[in-house]
Amino acid sequence: MLYRNFNFFFLVWVLLTSLTACQEEEYILPEPISQLTNDCLKRTIGPSIASLPIEFAYAMAIPKSQGKLVSAQVEASIPGGTGTYLEHRSYYTNSGGVDIPVTIGSPSTVVDAGKSSKVTFTVDTNAATLRYYYIVPDEAKGQTVSFTFSVNSSDGKTASYKMGPYNISKMSIKKNLTVSNGTNAFISIEDMAIYNATSAAAIPDKIDLVYLYRASPTSFTHGLVSPGADATFLPGVTLPSGLKKSTKLRKVFGLQDRNLANLQFGIYVDDIDLTSVDMTDMPNYAIGLRAEAGVWVETADKKYRAYIYINSVNATGSAVISMLRYTL
Amino acid sequence: MTIYFKIILTVLLLTGSFFSCEKDSFVDEDGLLITFRSECFVSNFELLGADFVTVRAAPAVIDTVAQTIDVSVLFGTDLKNVYPQFTLATDCKLDPKITGKMDLSNLADSKIFTVVSGNRLVRKPYKLIIKYQ
Repeated sequence: MLYRNFNFFFLVWVLLTSLTACQEEEYILPEPISQLTNDCLKRTIGPSIASLPIEFAYAMAIPKSQGKLVSAQVEASIPGGTGTYLEHRSYYTNSGGVDIPVTIGSPSTVVDAGKSSKVTFTVDTNAATLRYYYIVPDEAKGQTVSFTFSVNSSDGKTASYKMGPYNISKMSIKKNLTVSNGTNAFISIEDMAIYNATSAAAIPDKIDLVYLYRASPTSFTHGLVSPGADATFLPGVTLPSGLKKSTKLRKVFGLQDRNLANLQFGIYVDDIDLTSVDMTDMPNYAIGLRAEAGVWVETADKKYRAYIYINSVNATGSAVISMLRYTL
Repeated sequence: MTIYFKIILTVLLLTGSFFSCEKDSFVDEDGLLITFRSECFVSNFELLGADFVTVRAAPAVIDTVAQTIDVSVLFGTDLKNVYPQFTLATDCKLDPKITGKMDLSNLADSKIFTVVSGNRLVRKPYKLIIKYQ
């Protein structure tokens, strides 16, 4: 009897629980923002490379009843390179998808030994979105950098927003170097520069590759060949004295790094790619190169690895190349 | 007497069910299905360079009678770092397996790849002959 009663009460309890469990929560209207507030997003994706900008969009607003915006500033943990600034224009996007600027103050001033950029508002406004362009300095390579965005309002309030820390790549970048067959044909990975024969003869230890173009055989075309390669791959080339380095090369196709390809495509080469690429048993020449192809490079002394991207080629015997270099 | 008969029958049935569940193995040592097909040949061959772009100068010539694959590669091809790709008859497999880049630079010593049929009973060695353009 006791057992039957227990079963009955248990069933009632389960039914009651199921009824209350389905009770709907009442929607509560969100409280409108009643004070100075801010928000930030990082617009740049991909690795942060020295000399290239990291772009942020910093939004700030205060209810009209509370006052207006007075100033906005950004402080970076490492002073930015030349060209770092906080925009003095607020942007909105029109129906055509175009960003339209509205001037809100005078151009930003750099304070605190280059660490901070500040914009003072000269118009009466209570909302703005300012862009911040931080040029990664050479000193930041391999470190992390953080940012503190802040805004002051006429009611004496301050709001701030922290971004980062962000890893700064150890890579260096050099874009749009023109190489030509027989003239500016000598490439230095260490200097990230192109030399002619006379200049190359003065720095033979720095010359890692020779650019050459041969129409025959048809599979040769544009080539990057190390001075130490077999003479078969340097037909008709008289090397300046002292050039003998044997640089390893690995051909790649379809790796159009966005930074090297002048902001086309959506692929990025990062530090980890350069450290993890397998260069074992790779040859010391790469021929048959074409536009949008590339080569991984490892210098003879294993001091540097690089990724050379072929931006464009010309059948008359020249090419435009860009490179990312990593110090091992 | 009847109960003894029932017990013996039950034991026999149980024993029989255990043994009847044992099935023949239809997969080989690689976990691939062994089928009834005896076809055994290479239907297509490709050779890719380190950049995964073909290094062939012309289509490979496959002789299924002589069991040879003749392929001519482009000038300057780095044969130390190539990826051969075989297309085989249905259910066949290749021995040795191709697991990554291969060194085929020793042109004097042609590499042998054996095609094994779907029923795993027929094995045909193919000689890969590479020459420069």
